[in-house]
Amino acid sequence: MNHRPDPTTAENGGHFDPQRAATLLNLTTQQARRKLEPTPPWLLVTRAVMVLAACGAVWLSVRGQHPYRGPTTADIPVLIAFIVINFTATAAVAKRATVGVTGRSRLRPAEITVAALAWIAAAAVVGALAAAGVSYSLYPTTLLIVPGVAWAAVMAARADWAQVRYRARGSRRRCSRRVRGTGRGMGSRSRRPLPRPPRQRRRRCLATARMTVRHG
Amino acid sequence: MADDTLDPLIHVPTRLKIVATLAALPDGDALSFTRLQDMIGLTPGNLIIHLRKLEEAEYISSKKTSNGSMTITTVALTGHGREALSAYTQALRELLGGL
Repeated sequence: MNHRPDPTTAENGGHFDPQRAATLLNLTTQQARRKLEPTPPWLLVTRAVMVLAACGAVWLSVRGQHPYRGPTTADIPVLIAFIVINFTATAAVAKRATVGVTGRSRLRPAEITVAALAWIAAAAVVGALAAAGVSYSLYPTTLLIVPGVAWAAVMAARADWAQVRYRARGSRRRCSRRVRGTGRGMGSRSRRPLPRPPRQRRRRCLATARMTVRHG
Repeated sequence: MADDTLDPLIHVPTRLKIVATLAALPDGDALSFTRLQDMIGLTPGNLIIHLRKLEEAEYISSKKTSNGSMTITTVALTGHGREALSAYTQALRELLGGL
């Protein structure tokens, strides 16, 4: 019988061949990513099924309406159940995945509060409008933009803008270099080296690079 | 020997697991000592020995924070450590591609 050595049990100090090292590196990286992933594929599939169920419920409630009156109040429990289950499952999975993890990628309590309040506010407004007898057709899903905008604001506040600017400058430089290269190739026969960037731009680039190194 | 091109500090199963696990975290994040121990399946003493070696080479950084009566130690891969792992991975690719 062929015996395949387990890469994880290689002795320290003994011969550790590159093939086993590559297998161990691949295995460990995959396992770590799976354990630390706050939104695993099964959660995304569950969300997709729930969205399908919620949209299906709305579709069933408007099917055959003549004249069209919009979704009925019977859809509200379905939508609320979708939000509650989605929120609970996401929070539970993220909590388990991020145990012991600290740093920039972790959401702060204030950011979680903003996101939760935006959802609660949207649900409250929808509920109030429904209770007041306002038809759904007058305020379609635009209210859901509120949590979306709140989340976008949170993410914008968290972003590492120095890094974003640095990357943007890098891609702009690459782009202009390509454009200059193309122009030279098309318009001139001589193969002169590219002109050096102006001193001011070079200084700015060095300062940004230093700042990126300092901030890790 | 071809193995000479591989960083000897990373080219040890336990330390390779530690570095690969920490590299799975987003840049700027740290992992608590207990979670790392749980994920790798090492005894605390054994893990400390390997972490110390990696810290001496500035591949990782550790920080102790006091939370009331408890002290939490967190470990993170430094930029230098990420570069070293990247160079190690590249060296592995070249070695295995040449086989």
